[in-house]
Amino acid sequence: MVTRNVTLPQQAGRSPSGWYATIAVLVALIALGIYAYSRELSEGMAVTGMRNIGPMGGATWGLYITFVVYFVGLSFAGISTAAVIRLARIDRLRPISRMAELLTVITLALAGLAILADLGQPLRGIVNLFRYARPQSPFFGTFTLVISGYLFASLVYLYLDGRRDAWLSEQTAERHLGFYRLWAAGYRDTPAERERHDRATFWLAIAIVPLLVTAHSTLGFVFGLQVGRPGWFSALQAPAFVILAGVSGLGMLAIIAAAVRRWLHREEELTVAIFRWLSTALTILLLTYLYLVVVELLTNLYTGSSRERDVMSELLFGEYAWIYWGAVGTFVIALVLLLVRAALPSLRSAVWPVVAVGGLVNLGAIGKRYLIVVPSQTKGTLLPYDEGSYTPAWTEFALIIGLIALGVLAYLLFTRYFPIVELPRPATSEEKEAR
Amino acid sequence: MTRYGMVVDLDRCMGCRACMEACKVENATPESSFFMYVFRFEHGEYPASRVSFLPRPCMHCDNAPCVKVCPVGARYKREDGIVATDWDRCIGCRYCEVACPYGVNSFNWKDPDEAQYLDWVGAAVTTEDGSTPPYRNPALDEEYGPEHRKIAGGGHVQGVMEKCTFCVHRVEDGLDPACAQTCPVRALMFGDLDDPDSVPSKALRERESFTLLEAAGTEPRVHYVGGSPPSEDARQVDAPEVRV
Amino acid sequence: MRRGIVVLMVVVGFVLQATAFFFLAAPLGTPTAVRFSEPRLPFAPLLFIVGIMLVFSAALVYELLPDRGADEG
Repeated sequence: MVTRNVTLPQQAGRSPSGWYATIAVLVALIALGIYAYSRELSEGMAVTGMRNIGPMGGATWGLYITFVVYFVGLSFAGISTAAVIRLARIDRLRPISRMAELLTVITLALAGLAILADLGQPLRGIVNLFRYARPQSPFFGTFTLVISGYLFASLVYLYLDGRRDAWLSEQTAERHLGFYRLWAAGYRDTPAERERHDRATFWLAIAIVPLLVTAHSTLGFVFGLQVGRPGWFSALQAPAFVILAGVSGLGMLAIIAAAVRRWLHREEELTVAIFRWLSTALTILLLTYLYLVVVELLTNLYTGSSRERDVMSELLFGEYAWIYWGAVGTFVIALVLLLVRAALPSLRSAVWPVVAVGGLVNLGAIGKRYLIVVPSQTKGTLLPYDEGSYTPAWTEFALIIGLIALGVLAYLLFTRYFPIVELPRPATSEEKEAR
Repeated sequence: MTRYGMVVDLDRCMGCRACMEACKVENATPESSFFMYVFRFEHGEYPASRVSFLPRPCMHCDNAPCVKVCPVGARYKREDGIVATDWDRCIGCRYCEVACPYGVNSFNWKDPDEAQYLDWVGAAVTTEDGSTPPYRNPALDEEYGPEHRKIAGGGHVQGVMEKCTFCVHRVEDGLDPACAQTCPVRALMFGDLDDPDSVPSKALRERESFTLLEAAGTEPRVHYVGGSPPSEDARQVDAPEVRV
Repeated sequence: MRRGIVVLMVVVGFVLQATAFFFLAAPLGTPTAVRFSEPRLPFAPLLFIVGIMLVFSAALVYELLPDRGADEG
């Protein structure tokens, strides 16, 4: 058995079976997404299913904004897991730290692309946002704190945290040495250097946590401050955004960790204890989120204005009921699965329940994000326009699937060329002597 | 200080929608935009049903949610009270549209030249001076106000937002907006609400008035006299066909 | 020396953010005039973002900048 201390996930020159086929499928999906976007650019956003609110009876924010919120939500758990590991010194969780950081970086980039896809004038958007962005608009927070600030901070964190592994890889790899050397940037694994690294990443983690809470809250404010949209105007939006972000992000992290564990044979480092921690965190967050769901339900049904009640009853009994009950159902089933897993000794060391929960809560999160965005537009006009409807067009699905494929591709490529699990520290000279 | 506003006399409005037509011609809006919109409501159940009409331009709110949320300041409030949309700066994020409680905003879902009722480009009929009908007022493409922004009319560019401008290109020349000018029963009274002698100010003094969605706190500058706000059971009839 | 640069970057970064947010970008408040929709300095939001990046780049500097000093092992 080859010693795995300092080897890369893939030996140079060897690709796992199905690698090229997977890449080909992903590239095809991305190409389809690009084609859909090109149609949108040339023919206008009429190719989507979105239409004006009011006389036209449509929804003007649809699948794109749904996934902007979903992607930003996923990014929350990534870096916050890495930060918690660093700040609370939960060393046994370090193996998932880089997976989490990478998840944040990639999903934030996807969120930025999804926003661009939703703009009627994307090039103007890029210039005018940097030039004219107004702090009074909740989008200011999304644009500056989330897409620019948070992404940059996470990139810095990912970079600094990977220097050591870049240095180790440079010593043992046969190819791509320039890339590792660039990343390592003169790392020398001395105790002084390690201490400096620890301190830098510690303070970085402390700085990132308030940034990400503010950033996700402003995304909630985008919706929660709008008095004109029944179903949106609520003080619960910001906290609910943050909590659901944690749920979906940790769920995705569980899926990624299980995939790495299975396909890269990392049973040794990605222990069951890690999945147990993930399931505990998921349980707490899910309980909190379901509490918020109940609070929102009771508030709107008991005493909301008639428009609020209209939107709520559409969610519970009308056109959107299948999504609402489906999403709530996934959360409840996920919670039950987690509690059963904690109770039954036979399941306590199983990984698959946490993966199943991860899948369920992500489906539920997508559904819930869709329900935040759409029904308040089609069924929530304050003036008595006719009821509206919205169905995403093929271009929207193609573009979103293309974005997801892009994210998966980026993740896979990273895993191919860089250790996704932190490499164990090789024994220092003192430790070797002590043996 | 000039602060423009409008008073709508619901006792006079007969739902003819001439204002909607005039607005559309004046502002060259595509099929999907109606800056001025007139509701035709039916209340109650037959045989005890009745009809009412409600013209709904943009409210040009003093506490406009659309202005507050615009990320780039393309939607802004002028000192004279008009809430304007700079179609040169707008990035098409449509946040103003979701924020507006009244639903007055429209987005250009495709190239406006291809979104008109008649084929704009390459029409078979031309006029003596070579212009191609339907006639588009070139004043719509100019800059207005001391701030020099492009805020008049609609149907300019694919991918930007637009809404009622109180015909700023006419108002700056001392004219009334097209809807007020055209209304056959003078139901739409436009003027300076800060001037006690203007027609709308007098109407507000002499009669009881209401605004739409007062509880939303938007402080609209369009007031209604006569009639009453849409009741809970009001439903639209004869809704105009709005399509892309 | 390195520590000085790092602290300076963090402080300048936060000052830049606060200045850009409160004094250089569009003013906060109920919009009643054109100025509420205009930045007082064009590209003020870019300055805000630069401020954020400065603060986080301080970590990069702290780790990467070689210090002319005694702590090299």
